[in-house]
Amino acid sequence: MRARIWGIVAIAWPLAAAIAITIAAIAMLRPSSANATPGFARQTGLSCQACHTIFPELTSFGRRFKMNAYVFSNVRQLEPTTERGEKTLSLSDLPPLSVQLQGSNTWLAKAIPDANPALTDLSQQNSTEFPQALSLFYTGKIADYLGAFLQLTWNPTSNAVGIDNSDLRFADHGAFDSIGVPDFIYGLSLNNNPTAQDVWNSTPAWGYPFIATNVGVPSVAKVILDGQLAQESAGFSGYLFLFNHLYVEAGGYRSAQTSFTNATTGGPGPLDSSAPLMRISGTAPYWRAAWEEDWGDHALSVGTYGILAQTHPHGIGENGPRNSFTDVAFDAQYQYITDNHLFSAYGTWINEHRHFNNHDLVDHADNWLNTGRLTASYFFRRKVGGSVQAFSTTGTGDSTLYASGTAVLGSANGRPNTQGYLFELNFLPWLNTKLGAQYTLYTRFNGRANNYDGFGRNAANNNTVYVYVWTAF
Amino acid sequence: MKWQAIGMTVVVVALTTAVGHAAQESVALDLIRRECSTCHGAQGISISPTFPNLAAQQAAYLEVQLKAFRDRSRADPHAQAFMWGMAAQLTDSTIADIAAYFAAQPPAKGKPAGSAETAAGKKIFEEGIEAQKVPPCQSCHMKNAEGNAVFPRLAGQHRGYLEKQLEVFATGLRANPIMHENAKNLSALQISQVAAFLSSR
Repeated sequence: MRARIWGIVAIAWPLAAAIAITIAAIAMLRPSSANATPGFARQTGLSCQACHTIFPELTSFGRRFKMNAYVFSNVRQLEPTTERGEKTLSLSDLPPLSVQLQGSNTWLAKAIPDANPALTDLSQQNSTEFPQALSLFYTGKIADYLGAFLQLTWNPTSNAVGIDNSDLRFADHGAFDSIGVPDFIYGLSLNNNPTAQDVWNSTPAWGYPFIATNVGVPSVAKVILDGQLAQESAGFSGYLFLFNHLYVEAGGYRSAQTSFTNATTGGPGPLDSSAPLMRISGTAPYWRAAWEEDWGDHALSVGTYGILAQTHPHGIGENGPRNSFTDVAFDAQYQYITDNHLFSAYGTWINEHRHFNNHDLVDHADNWLNTGRLTASYFFRRKVGGSVQAFSTTGTGDSTLYASGTAVLGSANGRPNTQGYLFELNFLPWLNTKLGAQYTLYTRFNGRANNYDGFGRNAANNNTVYVYVWTAF
Repeated sequence: MKWQAIGMTVVVVALTTAVGHAAQESVALDLIRRECSTCHGAQGISISPTFPNLAAQQAAYLEVQLKAFRDRSRADPHAQAFMWGMAAQLTDSTIADIAAYFAAQPPAKGKPAGSAETAAGKKIFEEGIEAQKVPPCQSCHMKNAEGNAVFPRLAGQHRGYLEKQLEVFATGLRANPIMHENAKNLSALQISQVAAFLSSR
């Protein structure tokens, strides 16, 4: 009897460990939500509400502050000049630093199977994280025309401090009155996550949910613009904001060395085939265009964005077959902002065409993956409120790509379809402190509502209740 | 893939360096272009009623207000949230330049409102309400509500902004002994009527 148990353990535990490691790895890679920072408030002397409805969502003024490279400052400046009167430095007397702390508890509807399958039901159904994330920010002016949003985050899954969403930017104003182009903003951004530089909350990096559990069950497929390149790529783009309405941006992303070492030299070096992540081959072009219309207490924007990425699959060298991912996305956002009532709605639709050249990893060389999200939120006097979201990822079924045969994480029918709703209630005792309770309800997970993994797990078993406290100071 | 990287760099650089730095201009004009205009509009006509129109505003009034934001003596909630920071580092001469710039802009056109409420508001503006000890507004703000020195222009101002100011004068959140006496005796309906009239001018 005992021998049989150990036999089962010997066979099953590597599988369970693989599940646990995969969940941990995915949780680690999931970009943590970043946000509004008190460093900005310290620098500008403005209250949070100047730039935010409820952090991290930006107001019209907040969007322009970001487009202007975070440089607007109201603290005394250190500004030495040369004998010829040239300013050689323009530095705030005090650094715009701030700290962010997130703590949370997550209840999963049904526990993930115990890592040791011989011992059933010992695995904890709820996970407490204090902190879920602890971040240090430098957010603000570096010099005239130059500013930064830099975030270092300690992550409990990796128990390490890593670089989080970062954006270094230059911006200035210009005008071509002679051809009818009045004052406009132009700028450059160097950042590590496609859409981290974006000023609307309808794109993924700063989209809703602004904070999420990192111990839930990840679904089998995500489009690459939905955080798959976050903190693992380096992007450089230029943008124009014309007529106070039209935003256009073009740039490119390359895979970046972040947490991996070169096997030969032991130091950080170029990525090689051993890197476990998606590697962009060369530079992936990125584009963004949006139109914003503001009237009275209302602001509306509609836009498009996308990326064309050629990638090297894991384990395949520079000269091997490449896959291509083409994301074309549309987004829209509406805000109604008054002292008493704040209403926002944002939505995005990302359509990804995937072409695989390493045919042994897929059934279909060409397939599609679509992600859509639609969110509405309401707050009363910036104190209490909540949000509702419908989310959906659907795509071409592909058994080789998605049906990994693993419990919990896999898909029995080889379809990536995951859909559901998210409900959230919030209370903000202070403008910089948010308490939240989120309920995520899956109507479909990895292709099915019931027994999606082929091991008897239902989509609803992955429903989560997540409560958190999020503060920045 | 070198050509891609080069291509992208060319696009990015072309997008941005085609545009030169604007000619050197005064500190005030630079501030107006970069900061004030974000909320108040480049010509002092704003979009959101949270932020007042400044076009054709009395220069003396603007100077007094900017100094009151700087020394934090004007302390209504929006002043604290937005203008305390904005005005913190302004010098007297920059304040004078900013005030002169907005005073010189053409005024905002009035927005039509309901004829009944506009007529009621006109009556309050021109005659006051004797029974409630409310003097005629025009005695200080002038016949066409164009203002006079430290008495601000009210014509063409956002209705929501005017209503909010009368409310904070009444509660004392915006400290002003004269306007406190005048506003505290107005009902919410009367405030709405006089604001409707002024915003339509």
